[in-house]
Order: sequence, then C-alpha cells, then structure tokens
Amino acid sequence: MRRIIVNIAFIIFAFALQICIFPFIPFLYASPNLLIILTFTYGFSLGVEEGMIYGLICGILMDLYVAGPFGFFTFLFLWIGFINGKLSTYFYEEYIVLPVAVCTVSEVMYNVFIYIFKFMIRDKFNIVFYLENIIIPEVVITLIFTLILYRFLLWYNKKLRVLDSRGINR
Amino acid sequence: MESRNKFVLLVLSIISIILIGITSFNDSIISPLRQAVGIVLLPVQSGVNTAGRAIYDSIEEQRKIHSAITENIELNKKIDELTQENTRLMADSGELARLRELYKLDESYSDYTKVGARVVAKDSTKWFSTFTIDKGSDDGIAVDMNVIGYGGLIGIVTDVGKNYATVRSIIDDISRVSAMSLRTGSLCRVDGNLEQYNEGRLILKDVKSDADVNEGDMIVTSNVSTKYLPNILIGYARDLKDDSSRLTKSGYLIPVVNFDNISEVLVITKLKEVSDQ
Repeated sequence: MRRIIVNIAFIIFAFALQICIFPFIPFLYASPNLLIILTFTYGFSLGVEEGMIYGLICGILMDLYVAGPFGFFTFLFLWIGFINGKLSTYFYEEYIVLPVAVCTVSEVMYNVFIYIFKFMIRDKFNIVFYLENIIIPEVVITLIFTLILYRFLLWYNKKLRVLDSRGINR
Repeated sequence: MESRNKFVLLVLSIISIILIGITSFNDSIISPLRQAVGIVLLPVQSGVNTAGRAIYDSIEEQRKIHSAITENIELNKKIDELTQENTRLMADSGELARLRELYKLDESYSDYTKVGARVVAKDSTKWFSTFTIDKGSDDGIAVDMNVIGYGGLIGIVTDVGKNYATVRSIIDDISRVSAMSLRTGSLCRVDGNLEQYNEGRLILKDVKSDADVNEGDMIVTSNVSTKYLPNILIGYARDLKDDSSRLTKSGYLIPVVNFDNISEVLVITKLKEVSDQ
C-alpha cells in the first residue's frame, strides 16, 4: 500500500517536472517522457495490475492537462501499462536489453498513436518528417533517461517492498 | 486474477473511448474536473517552475557577464517597445489612409487593457504548442482572449480555471488565424504547421491571386476575424506563389515572436465582439 502511495507521489512529481522544467531548458532539443518511463518500469517490474493502475493515473493526468477530447491519453497509457505488465514474466533485474527494447517500443507506440489520431487524421501524411524531428529525438532522450532512472526505480521499489512486508508482519 | 485484469482493461478502455466520443463534441462536461485539478496543480507547477528556474538562472548567470545580461534585457525591452510602437504607428497610418472616409478607428492594440502573466508549464512533447499561464478567471481572463508579447501575437486562451489558463500558440498545428496585409488590407489566413515551424515559419494562405501582398509585408490580424482583435502584428510575408488553382496565392510567414523561449506574456482582457449578423 505504502508503495502505491509513494509511486503515485512520484508520478505527480515527474509530471510536474515534465511540464514545468524540461520544456524550459533551451539546450534540450526534445524532452524525456518521464510518465512513459514510470509506467513501463512499474508495469514491467511489478506486474499487470500495478502497471494498469499507474498507467491509468499517468493517462488521466495527461488528459487533464492537454486540452481536447478527454480519454485519449488514459486509453494509451492504460494499454502501455497492461502490455508491459504482461511482459513482467520475462523480468530479470540484471537484464537491461529487454527493458530498453520495451521502452523504445512503448515510446514509439505512444508517439505513433498521437501522430495517427491527432495529425494523420487531419491529412498530414509526411511521416518521415515527424519521425526525424519529433519521434526519434524523443525516443533517444527518453532512452537515456531510462538508463539513468530504471535502476533507481527498481532499487527504491525493492526497498518499499521490504518496508511493506515488515509492516504486515508486525 | 488473469481474467479480472483483462476485464478491467476492457471496461476502462471502453469508458475512455466513450469519453473521447462525448468530449469531442462537448468539452464542457469535463471542464469542472480539469479546473479542479488545475487549481491543485498550479501551486505545484509554480513551485517546481520557480525552483527549476532559480537553479538554471544561477548557472546561467555565472556563465554570462552580469552587465551584458541587464543591457540585453533592456535593449530587448526597447526593441519590443519599438516594434510595438512601430506596428501601432504603421497600423494607424495605414488605417487612416484607407478608412478615414469610412469610419474612425479609435483603437489600436496598445490601448487595450492587458494582464501580464508568467508561463508556468508547457507541453513537453513537440507535438503540441500549448502552455499554461499563472493567471485565470480571478484576474479577469476568459476563453478566446488574445495573448501577445515580444512585439506580436502569441496565441489565444483555450481553457480557463480559477488561477490558471491554457494558451494555444499560433504555431500549433491546429491554429488558424484570419489575417490581412497591413499595407493593403488584403485578407489571408495564417496557419500553424509543425513541419514548417521547424524552419521557423508559418503558412500564409488564401491570399487572392490579384491581391496586392508583397514580399516582406507586415501581416496583422484581420478585422473580420471572429476571435482575434484587429491589427495585432503576426509577422512578415515571404515566398508568395500562385496555387495550382490560380485563384489564390500562398506562401510563408516569418513570425516576429520567437516561440522557443516565451516566459512572460500579456493577455488582452478585451474579447472581440462579433455581431450575430
């Protein structure tokens, strides 16, 4: 329980960082998608159920912030959480290649989803441009942040799990 | 367990799809919720923003010589003032020549009352160009108010909460502004376009092929726009060419505002009044 509260607090903090700090740093060409990192790490390491909870929270936050139809990001993040949760059977802590692949796929999925439903739908077909200028930079910077954050997230979730189980035993 | 997760996923997916459907047509259902969250989030945003900027600024200040910064700011302010003044004067004289006989225009946009606001949050993806400012309905801001700064038009308010407002800049891919050439009054349209903005420009289109719009003409918001107040400078026309239909011309517009580092904006607290006729 404590883990879920801490993780939700972390999501809100990451959301604030993502919309208040990164876009204002002038030398960053793209900003990392912290919410994707959190959703996929949690889903991947903690399973379907928590993946979906955190995905849902991230999605609702995004939907509330971005104007336009509500539910778009909720749907997207929910599925990212679910799919990554499904992959948790292949989760080994030392193994870094799979999470990196999973992160890339999640990011590409996220951006392609936005592209299809917000741009292609309005007859903007130059996908190469969007790939080169938006999707790839964002994927790369998110990957860099994943490599930094992934270990940390796993480490503190392990800590929290130990704390939680101690709380139950007492 | 397994099937329950799938069931939950399915139900939530269907709910969000239904919500997308409903809110595509009617955004107002969700706005109380958005506002409530906005009110809670704004202090967080302001805090993180101030802290982040403080850290960044201290690094930045060490790198630059202090006097150069202050001088730069002063000069920039002067440039802004002068560009604004210049547009106002050009607007005045252009208007005067064309419309003196028809009607008296006693407003130019430096006369509008404005509210200054700070940008506290931006969309982090490059897909959208929207940002949040720290003034809301409490400060008299309402949806569809024009946002200006740095000598030109920046965007329009799309969403208002008690203490915050969301602004969509004119470079956003779905932005459309009805505009005109300041010199001749020929109407045109300025479209935001993600692909073109990468080259630092917007799209200028729907110029009648016989209209007198030249390279480098000042493009301002038009009188006939439903949401934008007239005579706000947007930018300069560039590379106008005939369209394949030969009925219209289109080209590019170089904006006066540098949208990459907007930190303070002015919101004009006067809405364009459009008669129903």
